[in-house]
Amino acid sequence: MTAYIIRRLLYTIPVVFGVLLTTFLLFNIVGGDVTDRIAGRAASAETRAEIRAEYGWDKPLFFSWDSQFIRHMTNAATFRFGRSWIDREPIIDKIRRGAGPSLMLTVPMFVGTLAISVSLALAVAFLRGTWFDKIAVVVCVAGMSLPFLSFILFGQYFLAYKWGLFPVYFWPDLSPPQYLALPVLIGIAAGLGSNVRFYRTVMLDEMDADYVRTAFAKGLGPAGVLFKHVLKNGMIPILTRVVLAVPFLFLGALLLERFFGIPGLGYLMIEAIGARDFQVINAMTYIGAVLFVGFNLLTDICYCLVDPRVSLE
Amino acid sequence: MIDARSWKKKRAARFGLWFLYVFTAGGVFITGGCGASDGDAEKTANVTYIALAAKVRGLDPGDIGDTTSSAVAAQVFECLYEYHYLKRPYELVPRLAADMPSVSDNGLVYTIKIKSGIYFTPDACFGKKPHKLTAADFVFAWKRIADIKYLSKNWWIFDERIVGLDEFREYTKNCKTAADVDYSRPVEGLQTPDKNTLVIKLKRPWPQITYMLAHLPTAPVPVEAVRYYGKDIVNHPVGTGPFRLAKWHKGSYIELVRNELYRERFYPSEGEESDRQAGFLSDAGKPLPLVDSIVMVIVQEDPPRWFLFLNGKIDASGIPKDNFGEAIDRRGGLTDQMKHRNIHLEVFREPSTYWLGFNMEDEVIGSNRPLRLAISHAVDRQKYIELFTNNRGETALGFIPPLMKSYDPEIRQTAGGYDPARAREFVKMARAAAGGELPRLTLSIPGTDAVSRQQGQFFQHCFEQVGLDITTDYMDWPTFQNKIKTKSAQIFMLGWIADYPDAENFLQLFYSANESPGPNNFNYSNAEFDRIYELASAMPECPERTAMYRQAERIVVEDRPAVFLMHGVAYLLHHDWVHNYKPHAFGYGTAQYRRIDVEQRLRYGR
Repeated sequence: MTAYIIRRLLYTIPVVFGVLLTTFLLFNIVGGDVTDRIAGRAASAETRAEIRAEYGWDKPLFFSWDSQFIRHMTNAATFRFGRSWIDREPIIDKIRRGAGPSLMLTVPMFVGTLAISVSLALAVAFLRGTWFDKIAVVVCVAGMSLPFLSFILFGQYFLAYKWGLFPVYFWPDLSPPQYLALPVLIGIAAGLGSNVRFYRTVMLDEMDADYVRTAFAKGLGPAGVLFKHVLKNGMIPILTRVVLAVPFLFLGALLLERFFGIPGLGYLMIEAIGARDFQVINAMTYIGAVLFVGFNLLTDICYCLVDPRVSLE
Repeated sequence: MIDARSWKKKRAARFGLWFLYVFTAGGVFITGGCGASDGDAEKTANVTYIALAAKVRGLDPGDIGDTTSSAVAAQVFECLYEYHYLKRPYELVPRLAADMPSVSDNGLVYTIKIKSGIYFTPDACFGKKPHKLTAADFVFAWKRIADIKYLSKNWWIFDERIVGLDEFREYTKNCKTAADVDYSRPVEGLQTPDKNTLVIKLKRPWPQITYMLAHLPTAPVPVEAVRYYGKDIVNHPVGTGPFRLAKWHKGSYIELVRNELYRERFYPSEGEESDRQAGFLSDAGKPLPLVDSIVMVIVQEDPPRWFLFLNGKIDASGIPKDNFGEAIDRRGGLTDQMKHRNIHLEVFREPSTYWLGFNMEDEVIGSNRPLRLAISHAVDRQKYIELFTNNRGETALGFIPPLMKSYDPEIRQTAGGYDPARAREFVKMARAAAGGELPRLTLSIPGTDAVSRQQGQFFQHCFEQVGLDITTDYMDWPTFQNKIKTKSAQIFMLGWIADYPDAENFLQLFYSANESPGPNNFNYSNAEFDRIYELASAMPECPERTAMYRQAERIVVEDRPAVFLMHGVAYLLHHDWVHNYKPHAFGYGTAQYRRIDVEQRLRYGR
């Protein structure tokens, strides 16, 4: 397994390099020049030149030891992303500050969605063909069809503004559980449709297997069969979905953060895209790519742990 | 024997009930204690709550370039002058200056006395010794804007204006790093004969300088703060104003609290006649600020901002487009729902003009005046205002807004308005001028959202009605700006909000020396206009100057480098517990004048 892990770690180098090259080409060649935006109105050519020098944009793109690409690579390797051109704040400080609020929102949302959707999927799969299953499928399809924004607006209007069950928005005197409760609930509700549908399919594949009939024939109750056998055998696709979703938890929830005033990384990303703050977008993309590659490897290791038939060679 | 079907049904019912229970219990658990807090403690505090529609980028006045950051920093920093809070037309009054400047006969030397006994707010950067404001603090702040290593967005204010300051900027270009810049290097045009006197020598007459001295970037900044905080000074504002920064949770909220060492300043005792009836003078003579603190929460989306306002969490709000019908009735007054909530409406003219600009260097449109006139007559401005602004605008036919003293009501006769029949005649003339069929025109719109696309469709319809073929190009703001700066847009949708109440601020947009990437996005050039602009912009305010401004405007309207669409009208709502809420088109630091009736706020919603 160690050899496999080392080999996979080595594979990550070209993947991350590819990401860095792509982001560099996208932001530096296709993305255009933001010097004017930094310089302010009616800036002279000298001011623009000074800005280009300050950010290293006056250097050659590739073929030089002090080229922009080499600097881009070095910054990424050392996690020193420089300062945002919008407010001149170090980007790493922004990321550190935003990671906490993002995780406070996305982790409960993720865990809640997973727990509820797997449980519901088990129930729905077990009761396949009954009214409960049919209603669940209709509700899931309806939930999947609704735009995420509709859930936000509905929740904010009815649950917070009209009925006063939750705060409408972040407010300085509120504690995180108070102002995060509604966005978490909305995130869970919005994610249930697609997740229950997916896990239902996974569970149905298992429910038709011979070992389930055998288990029932041996006198095991539904709970025992579902949680001890079906759930365990359905773990591979569940794991794939779960572990690969984890890196995105760090990147926050774009719309929820913006509509509920949560200063997380999703909010930061939206802001950076709107303002073309390529330094920030680049840092976030790079961190996302590293996490994604890392968690991909973790998924493979987990396969091996949950399913003895899988071996890493 | 158990029937398999009934067994499944029983379990189905049991599972259904179980999940219902889990959901209900979970819901109760999550929502328990999470409801909107009663917030009585916050309601009884003498605090004004404001929603900011964008994130605050930084609180260093020398580098501020956005309105949100200005709205915060203006509570902490002060300038030499400010606009009178109540008087209209807008009038400058001294703030840090002891009096209005004394100007030499040739208009080139401004001598300004600074009030004595003013201190910067106590800060770690000063150690134990407080910093008393002197004329040198202004000189330092302005040299800093000139310092190219500082990369200020505001150099445009002083560019080619003050004797020796451009040379200082040249000198900073040769310094290797920011630390190498020697601020003790003299600048001939910025002198301090004594601690409280500032003498400014100009290269050429610039009567608008007094407006600039009321503009936030010219606020004094202490040298100790710049040295102590370095690049982090954007997070540590140290000013002389009525408030100081208490908390700044980036991306969430900012709390400013009363500056305990603030000097004696009083609420104005003069204003317009209507101010007395409106109660704006009932606090005359009271010491400022009238509130103890300001809490500014960043709310970028319209729905939560609107809900927070209706819930009484924030004191004042604009009206989102989608909620306009809920707030304003067909006659333009408040709806019963708003009246029932004791919400007040303030309507005021903005110093703004919006247009469809033509790139005069474009070979199709720039050389074909009948084509520009055809487009101008083809656009139904009133319909545009009705559809896209809920009637929050006035039809524009010239570029000087009605709020300015030099607004010319007669400009309508020169311009003519929406007239499709006339537009069709001009299209025929345009075809003749082009020597055949007109090519398809391209309109660039800054925005890719639904409203931008609807605007594009509206203009497309207007153009097609008169026989013009047009395509619309939607893009994000940076791409749009880039297109304008590189002169590659043909027709573009844009506007201007004045920085100060002098029409010169609009006229400079048509001055040929300011062509792109400067503010003349039309790349318009007219020798007669330039001549008048150069003369008038150097004159102090007088009837002759007003006449010249109007003449210059008529020249532009005759040439029609743009379809002038509308002048903005703002609708603002505030709760009845907010007193002295008089909208101001140019003043940012107005929270100090607001008074909050905490009892009224407490009663709201009970």
